[in-house]
Amino acid sequence: MRRLVAAEVKKFTTIWSTWLVLGITAFLVAALTTVVAFAPRRHDHSGVILAVRGSANWFDSAFSVLTVSLDLALVLGILCMTGEYRHKTITPTYLAEPRRGRVVGSKLLASTLGGTAVGIVAGAVALVFGLSVVAGGIGNVTVMLTEYRHVFPGILAAAILYAVYGVGLGALVKNQVVAIVVGLGVTAILEPIVVGVVPSVGKWLPGQAAQALESVTANVSRGLGGAAPLVPWWQGGLALLGYGIVLATAGALTTLRSDVT
Amino acid sequence: MVTGFLGPNGAGKTTTLRMLLGLVAPTSGRALVHGVAYHDLPDPTRTVGGVLEASGFHPARTARNHLRVIATVSGIGNQRVDEVLELVGLSGDADRKVGGFSLGMRQRLELARALLGDPPVLILDEPANGLDPQGIAWMRGFLRWYAGQGRVVLVSSHLLAEAAQTVDRVIILAGGRLVADGRLDELLRGARTSVRVRTPDAARLARVLEEAAASAAGEHAPTSVRLEGPDVVVAEGTTPEVVGPLMARDGIVVYEMTSSGESLEQLFFELTEGMGSGGHAMGPLSVPTTAPGSGRNGGSVP
Repeated sequence: MRRLVAAEVKKFTTIWSTWLVLGITAFLVAALTTVVAFAPRRHDHSGVILAVRGSANWFDSAFSVLTVSLDLALVLGILCMTGEYRHKTITPTYLAEPRRGRVVGSKLLASTLGGTAVGIVAGAVALVFGLSVVAGGIGNVTVMLTEYRHVFPGILAAAILYAVYGVGLGALVKNQVVAIVVGLGVTAILEPIVVGVVPSVGKWLPGQAAQALESVTANVSRGLGGAAPLVPWWQGGLALLGYGIVLATAGALTTLRSDVT
Repeated sequence: MVTGFLGPNGAGKTTTLRMLLGLVAPTSGRALVHGVAYHDLPDPTRTVGGVLEASGFHPARTARNHLRVIATVSGIGNQRVDEVLELVGLSGDADRKVGGFSLGMRQRLELARALLGDPPVLILDEPANGLDPQGIAWMRGFLRWYAGQGRVVLVSSHLLAEAAQTVDRVIILAGGRLVADGRLDELLRGARTSVRVRTPDAARLARVLEEAAASAAGEHAPTSVRLEGPDVVVAEGTTPEVVGPLMARDGIVVYEMTSSGESLEQLFFELTEGMGSGGHAMGPLSVPTTAPGSGRNGGSVP
């Protein structure tokens, strides 16, 4: 199993799409933190109370864009599985390790490293942003780091589990484009609807579970979480892990058993 | 021993090979290597090398990295990766991305991957596909060399002339059924052949051969003899090994002697007639070929 995981890690590092995903992560985090922090805002009728620049809430809302790294970790996980079918590299992979369940297992494990890489790149860019604005005279370093410590660990954990979830999804769906559309669509479209209509079910969906997990250190709930109750952080983590493992097992028992031609 | 696995398109060659390699599950029955299903081989990479036509490469990965990834699974070191690259002649292109490779280079890379574990059994699906004539000759030489080391080579092909030059034994599949299995020379033995001789002594040679036909002495005595034009004699049912000594004995000058025999191709058509979805796709369009041992031009000059 150790060799299989090492081979999976090598697959990640020897193609540019991995570096592209990490590059997009860095770019999005840099761009979105800047936009969220500095975009000109008008007080409108909704009466949104804006955080004062340099305040704890201001840093918190800027760092909260780190959640985009979950989507990228998900994509990385999906690519890890579906890329093999897309480029037919699954044939040499299965020739070297004909026990397909072990191949999927090694991908689940290797994807935790992929998710870690995405989370760390995102976290590093956010930290650079925080240090830069502090150096630029906005806020102070203690407040910034306190908020960073609230947000980053939960995001990192969620990114790791999102990559695992991506492998599971890829194992079940196998078609790269469909898997990415389904993966991103569930969080972006299906989930808000379910949360609104059946909150008791919605709180178990991946995005909500991730928010629950992030609340391990962050004491504020963001976005949709404001309206719906979240499960305890550890339950959120287990739910995400469960998605990865259950989907991967289902994939290994169904789609991945089909003939490779 | 090189075994050729032949059959018309759609006969089930690729499917059978993929069953052997554990990629396709048989509807019924089992596919075993060394008496064991591929799934249960303790170390598949070091037991069987599979070279598959549609096997994939990530276009953005270099040839060397492609092999290193697979080598890692079986705990094979980077040194062996360099060795197999050298063996298939891809050392100079090892750090190029596979996306820029020609079909022939991909075939070589696929072969290199199969060789990583230095397996005693090599299974190849249409390895000559996409290769240029030099590449085909190289592949033939390679397979003969590999088999010469006491290893087993099973190679599927629809290029019969090519297969005839490479294989010792043939297995012919048609319509999903086995129609022939044996040594190529034995399958072709006793087949009808004819010998054509161009000589200034045509009339005398015809008489000599007719006498031999009449006496029916020995194996492969001519069954019929005819003159074609002023200087050509054609004897049916015999071989150059019979005609040559007769001409030498009687001091008959030879300008040219050729023999045409039942080739692997003819045998193949007889066995697979009306079977397989591809039918006679290869028949009418195929370039006439000479069978092994029958294409030797040359005269027996006394």
